[in-house]
Amino acid sequence: METKTTDEEEVKEAVKLEASEIEYVSYGGEHHLPLIMALVDSELSEPYSIFTYRYFVYLWPQLSFLAFHGGKCVGTVVCKMGEHRNTFRGYIAMLVVIKPYRGRGIATELVTRSIQVMMESGCEEVTLEAEVTNKGALALYGRLGFVRAKRLFRYYLNGVDAFRLKLLFPSPLLHPSLAMVADKDDGNWHNDHIPIEECSEVH
Amino acid sequence: MEAKPPPAAADEASTAVPDGRSSTIPSGENTVWVDVSLLLDAACRDLEDGELIHGDNFNLFAAMSALEIMDPKMDSGMVCKYYSVDEAIENGAAPVPISSDKTVDVRCTIDIMDHLLACEATWHKGHSVSQTVFSCIYLLRTDRTSSHVLLHSYCRIIRATCKAVISVVSDARTHEEEDLFTMSYGLPLSGDGDDKCLSVLNAVEETICRQLRACKAPSSRRKVLEDIEPLQTNLALEEGYCKALLCRLRFRKHFYHVLTCLRRPQGRGLELARKHIASCISELECILSSSEFLRTSASGACEDGLEDKTTASGCQPVGFDANLNSRLSAPTPPRAIQILSWNEAVKYFMRLLHDLDVLCSYSLDSSLESVLHFVVQFQKSQPDLVARAHLQLLLVQDGKLHGRDPVFAVITRAAALPEATRNHDIQKNEFIVQLGQLVINLLKILCTNSAWQRRKLGKIIQDWRVIYLQLEMAFKECGENSNVSNEENSIVKIFQHILVWVEEQTYWIASRFLILGFELELYSPNEYCMVYWYLYVALVKLAEKTHLKMAVTNGAGKRRGKKKRDTPKDVAKDYRIPPAVLFLQCQICLAEGLTMMLAALRNEHGILETRSPFNTEYERFIQHFELLQKASIPDHVSYPSFKESTTYARFSNILMYNYFKDAQRIVKEVKSSFSNEPDKLAELRRLEQVAEHNSIALNVISRVGTLDPSLKVSFEFNHHPYFATAVVKRS
Repeated sequence: METKTTDEEEVKEAVKLEASEIEYVSYGGEHHLPLIMALVDSELSEPYSIFTYRYFVYLWPQLSFLAFHGGKCVGTVVCKMGEHRNTFRGYIAMLVVIKPYRGRGIATELVTRSIQVMMESGCEEVTLEAEVTNKGALALYGRLGFVRAKRLFRYYLNGVDAFRLKLLFPSPLLHPSLAMVADKDDGNWHNDHIPIEECSEVH
Repeated sequence: MEAKPPPAAADEASTAVPDGRSSTIPSGENTVWVDVSLLLDAACRDLEDGELIHGDNFNLFAAMSALEIMDPKMDSGMVCKYYSVDEAIENGAAPVPISSDKTVDVRCTIDIMDHLLACEATWHKGHSVSQTVFSCIYLLRTDRTSSHVLLHSYCRIIRATCKAVISVVSDARTHEEEDLFTMSYGLPLSGDGDDKCLSVLNAVEETICRQLRACKAPSSRRKVLEDIEPLQTNLALEEGYCKALLCRLRFRKHFYHVLTCLRRPQGRGLELARKHIASCISELECILSSSEFLRTSASGACEDGLEDKTTASGCQPVGFDANLNSRLSAPTPPRAIQILSWNEAVKYFMRLLHDLDVLCSYSLDSSLESVLHFVVQFQKSQPDLVARAHLQLLLVQDGKLHGRDPVFAVITRAAALPEATRNHDIQKNEFIVQLGQLVINLLKILCTNSAWQRRKLGKIIQDWRVIYLQLEMAFKECGENSNVSNEENSIVKIFQHILVWVEEQTYWIASRFLILGFELELYSPNEYCMVYWYLYVALVKLAEKTHLKMAVTNGAGKRRGKKKRDTPKDVAKDYRIPPAVLFLQCQICLAEGLTMMLAALRNEHGILETRSPFNTEYERFIQHFELLQKASIPDHVSYPSFKESTTYARFSNILMYNYFKDAQRIVKEVKSSFSNEPDKLAELRRLEQVAEHNSIALNVISRVGTLDPSLKVSFEFNHHPYFATAVVKRS
């Protein structure tokens, strides 16, 4: 599906705020649904019916998160997971952060939380699609370890190609020594690669 | 969602009107109709907000296929302006004639022609035909225009052209992900007598020719020509309008000829097609130059800002409504389609014609190797679907290369077997038959868009590997049964040749697969190191097999004439590495050099190093090369071997074994061997430039690198599409 966010682009009308002012909440019920729908409808080009939203948030409420700033919903992530050709796979369906709040790691935090839950739930990999022109999203997912597995020709209705991005989790069977390496990496990754304002927030 | 009987049926059944209407379903022996409205009402009251009654098969696809009625983003049935084509016509959306003023009528006709061209280009570029070309109301009801000969003839040739293009694309079936292209249900694509559209068009062209002659004739001669009624009433504009119409009609005529010539079997129409392409191009140029006249003569009628206008005059055309057909454009939600501007449309057709012209220059009498080379070259400019479909139909017809050469003959030639082998009975061997299918399949895949092509290539690598193993087994069985008669000896030889060639071809596919990843931008800079390393090992294998194949061939050739002239000079010549292999060698040097440079940057400077929170480089390696690894391409190559060869890379070492200098040396050595092949010569020059620049970059980095921590190194593709050039900057 889609992602509308950017982590690096400078945003002109940026709102002044501390990272700690953003509150992250797991999907909590019908009252969150209009918030998610309003964000996605306003920012993404593809139209989704209410069935699509409910399909995700009712089956996998634990994978959807919302970001609030002073009571206002400024970002959301919607996901699913399940069996796909003999692998247990997570899928990031929608990721949105509204414009004035972009560039401050909110999207990274939202999606990181979902991926974390997917990993703990036994997913072997995570996939998603992103427009080839969406440099911000591609950079964000690149930093999280996603590779561009395929290019999908004119994937979106607007005629733009998509990349299928994939994140493969380390498998203890394939590479037993990796659990340790991953742990080590995990310890310092945000200091190296994630914008400073985010560090206080992650995990 | 389910469990609701259609209310109408239930109603009719329960009221059971005995008026002889047979539309109601009768009650069966053990069944009876019951009104369930109350039950449903009660059930509905029990449902909480957000609850849904659904079947087990309710999945994401079902959820996404649902639409919300009256949401303009989703509901393609929503009425925009008119309910139907007929209503639009009744409301005067497409009058015939367009105007009672003949001058205005001609001007508007030209606008319609121009807008149709823009629609056609937009369709070719990936939108549905129903919302582009068939947004033309005149085209939807061509019978209405029969009194308007000019418009009528144009509509008919457009319709015939659309039909021809759809047929090419659906016959080629290269369009996998582009299947929207051929969706034309519900559209009046075939009309009676469209086969005569050319003669109608010729007659109209003839009339306008005479009108043009008449208006240009000196007044003294006008009397003679007086019986010719002018095109329109404003004599000052007569010549301009006649000319503008003529080039538009002639373009259509020649374009239709191009399409039909290209479809002649075994490429027999290529030469003629080329002539029509040239005519098309010159008519397109006339069309372009007519725009000045059309703009000025229409001035006042249209607003400013010509860039995104869909007509040469800049006027809005009469008789188009894209919403009328939006219900036919399912399965996609209706979208406002941005029609290409007239200028872009002309550009598109220029490009298409150029691509088709390249196609026509193709010589059919060629080996598989040169076919593959041609297709790869052709694809470099990323031609659109229509050109690619024609290419595929030219290459593969009736399961034969060019519709003429049986696959086995193609294989024996590619495997450098003697001419006589092509009739050998071994072609009935089931694995050889399968191999033939793989070759045909490969050719078709190479004609698809690069995104699809790469995915398919990744999949067929496995098939090529398997067929190799099967052929190898069959070969061994042959060898074991030997009481070496001459016949069996020749079978062994055939197998030998074919096996080497299959391996070579497999590595060729693998390198294509890797290279296409660059074109599709699938690699990010921190993955370049592993990608170049993999490309390096694949190319080494490819060079090895190519060399082996050539050695076997030369060995076979040499034996025949050996006794006669065994001069030392000939021997020296035989041991020289063939130019084709040196060519690969040069690429190998670049791939290895880039691998080592990238590895050293990472090892010594921490540049392009990535750590991600959820996985490691190993997982990224697996994801990129999974398909090659599964097929053991190459054997015994895996992540540890990559690490082994790159972990200790240091600039001091790379300077000693300067791969880029090697590449430059090889280019100089091999250039003269390709003096007759401009494509390859150009490629060599590009490789040389990459080598030169990287050689310099390497020196700079190793000289100042350790002293200057602010050194920034990035990689760009400004000299070659997939061999990167290092750019060094100090910040």
